[in-house]
Formats: sequence, C-alpha cells, structure tokens
Amino acid sequence: MKRHIHLNTHISGKFNQELENLTNSVLTMGGEVEQQLVDAIRAVRENNAKLAEQIVLNETRINAMELQIDNECMRIIAKRNPTASDLRLIMTLSKVTADIEGMGDEIQRVVRLVTKDKLPPSDLIQSGVIMLAEKIVVMMRGAFDAFARQDERAAVSIYEQDNIIDTKHKELLKQTAREMQNNPEQISDWLEVLWAIRAIERIGDRCKNICQYVLYLTYGAEIQNHSMKKTIKKLLK
Amino acid sequence: MLKLFESEIQNIDSLSSEQIAVDVQSLSIQLNNKQVLTDISMRIPKHLTTALIGQSGCGKTTLLNSLNRMNELNAHYSYSGKVLMDGKDIYNKKENVARLRTRVGMVFQRPNPFPMSIYENVCFGLKIQGLNERRKLDDAVENALRSAALWGEVNDRLFDSALTLSGGQQQRLMIARALALEPEILLLDEPTSALDPLTTLHIEELINDLKKRCTIIIVTHNMQQAARVSDYAAFIHQGELVEFSDSDSLFTMPAKKQTEDYITGRYG
Repeated sequence: MKRHIHLNTHISGKFNQELENLTNSVLTMGGEVEQQLVDAIRAVRENNAKLAEQIVLNETRINAMELQIDNECMRIIAKRNPTASDLRLIMTLSKVTADIEGMGDEIQRVVRLVTKDKLPPSDLIQSGVIMLAEKIVVMMRGAFDAFARQDERAAVSIYEQDNIIDTKHKELLKQTAREMQNNPEQISDWLEVLWAIRAIERIGDRCKNICQYVLYLTYGAEIQNHSMKKTIKKLLK
Repeated sequence: MLKLFESEIQNIDSLSSEQIAVDVQSLSIQLNNKQVLTDISMRIPKHLTTALIGQSGCGKTTLLNSLNRMNELNAHYSYSGKVLMDGKDIYNKKENVARLRTRVGMVFQRPNPFPMSIYENVCFGLKIQGLNERRKLDDAVENALRSAALWGEVNDRLFDSALTLSGGQQQRLMIARALALEPEILLLDEPTSALDPLTTLHIEELINDLKKRCTIIIVTHNMQQAARVSDYAAFIHQGELVEFSDSDSLFTMPAKKQTEDYITGRYG
C-alpha cells in the first residue's frame, strides 16, 4: 500500500521541525555533492588544477555534513522514538546520506585525473569520460528531486536510466582497452583513468540506491518482499 | 564549517548564574527516619524543561517537593543543605512559604479539581491572594486557560462544574490553575500518567510552549516522555544524583554506566 510521508502533521511542532530540518540537510548535502561533480567535470575538461584542489578540500566539508546528519538521526531516534513512516524516513535519510558521502568519495577518484596529472592521453577517452559524467549529473539531479518529492514514478524512471549508463560505461571501457593496447608504454597512466571511469559508474549505482529508498519510503516493507523489477513493472502499469 | 543543526541547549556547566532558576546545594532529606535524598547538588536552568528520572522510590518526587517545601507537610521530616532561588535560600526561616508556593506552582499526577466551576478553579489562588476585581479575574482566567490550551474547549461553559471535564481537560485545568498565579517555576509530578497517549502528546506540546513563561521541572516514570519533553535530565538512584546533563547527551551517550543501564532497560 502506498503511503506518502507528511512531515508537518505531528502534534509536536518541534518534531515536525526536526524532521524537516533533517530532510533539508540531506538535500543540502546532496546539492553540495552534485556541485562537486559538476566542478569535477569542469576541472577535467579544462585541466584546472586549482579547481581540482578546491574539490578535494570541499570533501572534508561533505564528510562533516555526514557526521552531523548521522548524529542528528541518532538524537531523533533516542529522543523521539519514531515509529512507522517516521522511522522509515529517518532510516532512509541515514542511508541516503551514506550514499551521498560515497558519491563524494567517488568524485575524488575522478578529480585525481587532474591532481595526479593523469588525464587520459586520448581526446576520445577524455570526452567519453566527460560525457558519461554529464549523464550521471542528470541522473543524480533526478534522483535527488524524486527523493525530495517522494515521487516514486520519477524514481523508477531514474532507476531505469542506469541501464543506459551501464551500456555507455561498457563501451567506454572497451574503447579504453583498445587505446591501452595501442599505447602499452602508457599503461600506468591509464590505470587512474580506469579507476575514474569505474568511479563514475558507481555514482550511478548510488543514484539507483536512492531511487530504491524512495520506493521503500512510500511502500515500506513490501518493497523488500518483491524484487525491484516486479515492483517497477507494477508501478509502470 | 557549515552547521546544519542549531541547538539552544548548552552544557550544564557553562551556564551562568543568571541562567539558573534553582540551585540545589548538597541537599539531603530524611523522611520518617529514612534517608531519602543524599547530598544532591544540581543547577536547574531557567526557561527550559528539566526531567527527573529514576525507579519508583528513588526520591525524585521528594526532590520535586523540596523545591516548594511541600515535604514539610510530613511531620517526620528533616533536611540539610540549601535550595537557592535568585540567590536566596528558600529554607530560610524568614521565607514566606505561601509566597514561595505562588512562585513555584505544582501539578500532580492525578487531576484534583475543586468541586466548583471551571472559572472558580482557575481564579481560586488569585482570590486567596485578595484579588476580587471581576474584570481582572476574567482576564487572568482567560489568559491562564489560553496558556493551558483549554480556552477554546471551555470558553462557553466556564461556569459548569470542573468535574464535568475529561481527564485530559482536567489536567490542563490544573495547569491553568497553577499558571493563573504566574509562577516562575512549574513542578509537574507525572502529569500525564493517567492520560491516554494522544492527550499525553498534547500536554507535552503544551509543556514545550510553557517554557517561554516559566521553568519546568517534571518527574516522569516514562523514559520516552522524559526524552521527548526535556532539555536537561537528571537520573536519580537510591536518593543519589547519578547524572545530570543535557538530555541530548544523556539519552544518546550517558556519561555513567548506571545511567546507560537504566535508560536501556538493563537495570537490576
């Protein structure tokens, strides 16, 4: 059964406010990471070392946000004893935060292409990396929007986008392998590129996780009893 | 560093004396030749809610009663130590006890309305104080009932018997009766233990609003309630203060193992 969560309907006004602040904080953190990825793409495109350094520094800020959100989740659980949809919301926010933090870590791997001066030796691969990352930005934005609006249809649609990302990722890996074979003397340089491509693909997986949490929020335990594919089929009917 | 969550609650030790409503200093109490409280020292912050938690018979109600000298109603009572309000010891022989109880209001576990009208219940204390002017009494009753979130439910039947109200309404009437005297401190002794969960939440929300007007000290057996309503919490065990800190810390990372065992249900 579908149940949307209404944050502002508790008798305790303070509890309403706490849940709203917590949700907004997670979305703020999401926005920060999204900006990090946009900046990372720019840093790679322009080979901008200064911007890359700033992205590395910002990571500390994102880690600190994760810590604050985790502490607040713990505080609310201890003090408010949330149940049902409130409990699901807090558990979900905690998981989403972990995924956002993970995305931040993956972005650092992409930025290393610039900080370690290991940009792909081939323009074809460099533009492939940028294109894949740009698709991920769109996916990430969509996942955060779906989460903010608790829009399960949008979440399913974003979830499905990951198939396209996977295909593009495989194509890019094949192209990279070909380039590596053509330039075997630069193998060590290519390793960072492979890590970066892998990191971008993993950000997509984390966006997929967030979409799953949107369904968990609105459908509760039912989503755990069905496979994701079955649920998606049901929703897309 | 970006701060996502602001908290108005400070560490108890960092509060200045202006921020303290009651300063309990080495208070020990004997009732019927039995040591009930031993060497309690705690500074209770102003305009915030402090919860006293602990097992039955641990002395939390005795501590609450000691803040408006209700314990003195027991003939076999002795004490040592001090309870300071605005720097003055309330146990000073010159202290006017009736005036003290006006400053420190109290609401008990079970609502105990007088068998008279809602209006008369609320203005009872004011009339004893000598206020008889009808208009002033009307205003005071309305203000107190509004503050206790009861006005909307009873404004068309103020002269009905208070005994016709439901349990939750009666308890809010008791809060209104205490508020009519504009106390600086409101003592609540398990105010919701006789009420259903929803009414309990309404009273808790009321407590949260009342903080703006006075300092709240609440005794509760319900640990979840203590966590929900309190800004600071004290855990008392066998008459001794085990831990007193901001409730965010006490309920997430208590400093003492004894507190941890109690709040996690591992005690005994």
